[in-house]
Amino acid sequence: MRVEYINPFVESAFNVMKEVLQTNVRRGELYLKSTSMPVMGVAAIVGLAGDVEGRVLFDMEKNTALAIASVMNGEELTAMDDLVKATITELANMITAQAVTKLHELGFRFDLTPPAIFTGDNMEISNHEVEALIVPMETPYGKVEINVAIRERG
Amino acid sequence: MKTKDEFPAINDRKPDGIKPDGTPYRIMVVDDSMFVAKQITQILTSEGYNVVAQAADGLQAVEKYKELYPNIDLVTMDITMPNMDGLTALQKIIEFDKNAKVVMISALGKQDLVKQCLLAGAKNYIVKPLDRKKVLERILYVLNK
Repeated sequence: MRVEYINPFVESAFNVMKEVLQTNVRRGELYLKSTSMPVMGVAAIVGLAGDVEGRVLFDMEKNTALAIASVMNGEELTAMDDLVKATITELANMITAQAVTKLHELGFRFDLTPPAIFTGDNMEISNHEVEALIVPMETPYGKVEINVAIRERG
Repeated sequence: MKTKDEFPAINDRKPDGIKPDGTPYRIMVVDDSMFVAKQITQILTSEGYNVVAQAADGLQAVEKYKELYPNIDLVTMDITMPNMDGLTALQKIIEFDKNAKVVMISALGKQDLVKQCLLAGAKNYIVKPLDRKKVLERILYVLNK
């Protein structure tokens, strides 16, 4: 995977999370994951299609999702209801869209799909033929891993 | 000691959402995300606007606009939505009412998309994340044009 694809995601994740959470966010070390990997409990996914194809997964623990959704809504949310899911999905959407906008300016042409969200225990995601790069973001509410898998079409 | 009369009354400012005739502006909020629809609605109602309808996709938006017309002053329109996207819905609303005031609200800020929307008749384009001030300023600007 080309590194040009990754930086815009790292940057926009950092900027958007800092802005909507009104707090400091720290970027951890990037690392690669291959084949199948466990996800933490709440995973929002946005698909990419165009010059490149792939997906971006936003992975976090349930408590982190609840805390983030509470801050974004300005009210305490304690159950994984539709509003919490819509809020986390929107966070994923904003980060991905801002990254796609940057990539567009660099000459890459692709679009994103409306986001979807998965919740549950002991989930695993498998990627055949494409490695995923993980960008861990540390927030006061817990860790959010941004898991990007992109490949050029061909 | 100064009397109360000598201080400007800070609460006398007319909320943005109220027309000169004293009635609120009527807005339709179009977004497939419950979170975003709620966020925009809260920002608008806090300034006195009346959110008369919400729609979760472009198809619903066009239908509701036709139903409400002419009792609607402005539409906020998301772009990436199921069934019918916001750009297509914008075009259909403008076809029906060439003076419609539609403000696009999207996380996508791609130059060509923004241009396409403005050419199709959108009166403004707000890129998310949203903040209260940005939303209120742009909407007031469009309504006063």
